[in-house]
Amino acid sequence: MSILTILPLKTIIITLLGTCLAGAVCSLIGAFIVRMKLTSLGFCMSHAAFAGSALGLALSLPPLWFALGFSILVAFILGPLTDKSRLQPEVILGILFSLTMALGLTFLNFIPDSAMSSTAMSILWGSILGITSIDVLRLSVLTFTVILIIILFFKEFHAIMFNRKMAEASGISTKPFYYLILFLTGITVAFSIKLVGGLLIFALIVNPASSAYQFFYDFKKILIFSPLFGILFSLGGIVLSFLLDFPVGSSIAIISSIGFGISVMLSPKRKKG
Amino acid sequence: MNQVKIIEMNKVSTIYEGEKTPSLLGISLYVNQGEFVCIIGPNGAGKTTLLETLNGLLPHTEGQIRIMGQDIRERGIFLRKKIGYVPQEFTVDSLSPFLVKDIVLMGRYGQIGLLKNISRNDHLLVDNSLKVMGIEELKYRPIGKLSGGQLQKVMIARVWAKKPTILFLDEPFSNLDYHTTYKVARKISSFHEENHLTTLMVMHDLNSLPERCNRIIHLEEGKIVKDDIPEKVLTEDLLETAAR
Repeated sequence: MSILTILPLKTIIITLLGTCLAGAVCSLIGAFIVRMKLTSLGFCMSHAAFAGSALGLALSLPPLWFALGFSILVAFILGPLTDKSRLQPEVILGILFSLTMALGLTFLNFIPDSAMSSTAMSILWGSILGITSIDVLRLSVLTFTVILIIILFFKEFHAIMFNRKMAEASGISTKPFYYLILFLTGITVAFSIKLVGGLLIFALIVNPASSAYQFFYDFKKILIFSPLFGILFSLGGIVLSFLLDFPVGSSIAIISSIGFGISVMLSPKRKKG
Repeated sequence: MNQVKIIEMNKVSTIYEGEKTPSLLGISLYVNQGEFVCIIGPNGAGKTTLLETLNGLLPHTEGQIRIMGQDIRERGIFLRKKIGYVPQEFTVDSLSPFLVKDIVLMGRYGQIGLLKNISRNDHLLVDNSLKVMGIEELKYRPIGKLSGGQLQKVMIARVWAKKPTILFLDEPFSNLDYHTTYKVARKISSFHEENHLTTLMVMHDLNSLPERCNRIIHLEEGKIVKDDIPEKVLTEDLLETAAR
């Protein structure tokens, strides 16, 4: 607990706010990604953001914008490639996953001073102290935007989440909404990478949403509980990180995995009779 | 009587991506408003492809399709708001996070339109459709927990809630027992009768031909081999082949 006594109150508040917002927005997006069976998209985006950040640092330019560029690039490659080629999205993601990881590790070697500087490490594993009030503001705007988009286009997302072909048959143009989900995932990953780190941010996208899916048959409830689980698991991860001085990304991944395990055990969907 | 052509297909071919042989080959077909057309043929004849090409879910590679006078390629999204489609043997995973009422209401989403709220009338139409299909008790049931027959009825309730101008049904009796098939066939006939609803229905079992069917199209290898009134298409030879 010693780290808490050292940190100023303002830093603690900013960290907790950033954690809650990143947890909420990643898990909200995760509700769509898990339902679309695109969990590999989480891995791929996070490694793309990691590669982008590493490139930014190697060039001594702002890593966030490079992370954003790389994640969005994955979204723009994946959408049309899935629609136009006869390849499953998982196959394309598998290839992009290894490519972005390889690029990230290569760029790390070009970071000035030391290849494994503290900044590079924070990109990989996340950093509690790396969050600034500007990051919190960005995450607030992003969370608000994502919620607003979901409310405005709830009908369209709802129908697509059930079945894309049936949504198309009922007169909904599904392509823009499918691409919008990919695009929002890219932005969300890039804005949250500072906290959780590029290697494990997908845990915050996949685990809370997968946990929410264990309890409900109503997609609306999943959209409400997924971010709540995201906040809970992120805060749990932060506490673990404070207590044991673990990297924050690892702590969140551990807590959210335990949370998922408990959800599976408690899931009414899996009870017989 | 002045008849309005609601579906016009002119020399339409459809080839699936990566395939060399077309699944539909130069089909020309006209359907008048209010007709009840059944499409029959062996497996792989192109029956489902025909329905999905007509509503634009599958892009055609040659020819022209006009629905209600408009090109399906240019006005696909708008036209699909007017077409009710029940797909063949629709399956849902058992943990699917949707309730029956959601699935039926989704049928109306295209009609409601972008940025518009779901109204009380939409919910009433959902309730009415569930009642018409006799499945009101399933309203709050998870969709993944239904039997094949119940799911089929939900999918029909979904198109009924949509209040379409044209109805496409792809083997709607495939998961139903004999008794339910009879009841659902009667329901489809009454939809047609009461609303003058142009209906195209893909059939496999010729014994469950709805009483309202006034025309049969027999497809084989992506081509129309016969298109006439039921009495002329359903020859003894054909019925014998179908029974085998």
